[in-house]
Amino acid sequence: MTNLIRAEFRRLLATRMWGGLLVAAAVIGGGMIGVMALVGPENFEPPLPGLDTDTGVRSLLGILGYTALVPAVAGTVAVTAEYRHRTAAVTFLFAPRRWQVLAAKLATYAVVGLVYGLVLAGTAAVALFSVAAARGVSLGMPAPTVLALLGRIGVAMMVYLLIGVGMGALIRNQVAALCVVIGYLYLGETLLMMIPGVNLLYPILPGGATAALTDFTYVADAMSEQLGSTTIHLLPPAVGALVLTMYAVTAAAIGVIVPMRRDIT
Amino acid sequence: MSIDGLTIEVSQLTKRYGEITAVRDLSFTVEPGVITGFLGPNGAGKTTTMRMLTGLVSPTRGTATIGGRPYRRLARPSATVGAMFDANAFHPGHTARDHLRVYAAMGGHPDSRVTELLHQLGLAAAADRRTRGFSTGMRQRLNLATALLGDPGVVLLDEPGNGLDPEGMSWLRGLLRGLADKGRTVLISSHVLSEVQQLVDDVVVIRRGELVAAGPWSRLAGPPTVLVTSPDADTLAVTLATSPVEAGTPPRVDIVRPGQLRVHGLNAAGVADLAAAHRLRVHELVTENTSLEQLFLDLTTDPLTTSRAGTP
Repeated sequence: MTNLIRAEFRRLLATRMWGGLLVAAAVIGGGMIGVMALVGPENFEPPLPGLDTDTGVRSLLGILGYTALVPAVAGTVAVTAEYRHRTAAVTFLFAPRRWQVLAAKLATYAVVGLVYGLVLAGTAAVALFSVAAARGVSLGMPAPTVLALLGRIGVAMMVYLLIGVGMGALIRNQVAALCVVIGYLYLGETLLMMIPGVNLLYPILPGGATAALTDFTYVADAMSEQLGSTTIHLLPPAVGALVLTMYAVTAAAIGVIVPMRRDIT
Repeated sequence: MSIDGLTIEVSQLTKRYGEITAVRDLSFTVEPGVITGFLGPNGAGKTTTMRMLTGLVSPTRGTATIGGRPYRRLARPSATVGAMFDANAFHPGHTARDHLRVYAAMGGHPDSRVTELLHQLGLAAAADRRTRGFSTGMRQRLNLATALLGDPGVVLLDEPGNGLDPEGMSWLRGLLRGLADKGRTVLISSHVLSEVQQLVDDVVVIRRGELVAAGPWSRLAGPPTVLVTSPDADTLAVTLATSPVEAGTPPRVDIVRPGQLRVHGLNAAGVADLAAAHRLRVHELVTENTSLEQLFLDLTTDPLTTSRAGTP
């Protein structure tokens, strides 16, 4: 098993994807948060509460949470690359107990996701605090709370990367897998929300669980407004984290079980 | 780590894909210490069989074992069996060295083995180039290097001749002969008989997923026949048919057409000597396709034919 994890790290570190992923984390974390903080949520269209309010800070961090698509895509690409470049056959020749290969990939990408989340959250924290200081705005949320929220976002990034790995292992075809992952995260969930009744499920869907993790209620509030009658309540943050982890574990378990018996041709 | 060859045993192996039966009730054994050719026309089921042998494809029925164990139950698969399939199984962004290092780690083989193989397979100069720019020959060599990482006792190569230049092929022959001489098990598939003719000791021939012939080449090939063109054909035919040969029975002679004979049971030199002794003219002497060659030719040229190669 150690051999397999070592092999997966070698596989990843030998490609350019690794560096690109770290750059993406810094650009999205530090860059995007920096620019948004500089502009100020009060100047957004439509305007959001300013950085000096709790809701304003939460909104920025919530938007950051929505970039979980990036690690999800990275995980999907990493796993499906084995099928696209036909190295899966070689890999399964060296490790015929296929669940071990997937388990090693999950372990490797959990570390990768954690590093990604750390860089993202770290650069976002630096950007947020320094821009606030430069603009002379005191954040509407105590610094430890900001850091705790950023930490949760970092963890969410890791979980999304693993969801990507699981979906990739399941679908195998790179383009199809990317369509499903991107399609669901950016379109599918929104479409689901339009079906009466289904939107009540929002809190336990990946998007809703991520929002719960960061207490980002923008989408839920908008939906409640449309519905008029029922108000949608997000799960408590800890439960949201749990639900999200369950998605990753399920995707991973499927990813581990399904490739076992499939023919590699 | 054992580097001795192990016996490959395929028993009543069957693979169905929906309506299509790719391999049907196939049984044969491959012994260590010799090179075995796995022959058959394209689409005969060679690759499917080899994939079942290595656990990549699950058989519908039957078993395929290496040293008595199915591939998936081998304790150290890549140190036991080196298998090569697709010539194109690399991440384009990886260098040759990257690729080998990934699989060296996976199989628990030392990194020194990577450098060793890069040199041994003539890839040292290209070691740090990304595989995206590799020629087919280089890919084939890198594939072979991957299969040999664990210094395995059993080597399975699917169509290794594809993309290899004559020099590469001759090098491969040397390598495989060396492995067989060391007592290892070598199985190579090919749809081109001439490619492996000089190399293999044993053969397994399949067609449409079924066994056609298996055994030592020398036994299956049968005695050669000689086609003689001579203006004195009639006299020569009588002379040949009445000549006592060392082995006992005189050669059998068929008249193909006026001026041409087919001789069974005597080689070209024997025919020439006999003709010379009787002052008969010979314009042409051709040693003909052995029966296995004829059989294989029938299989490859007409995949729908049901007749075995008859005696010409």
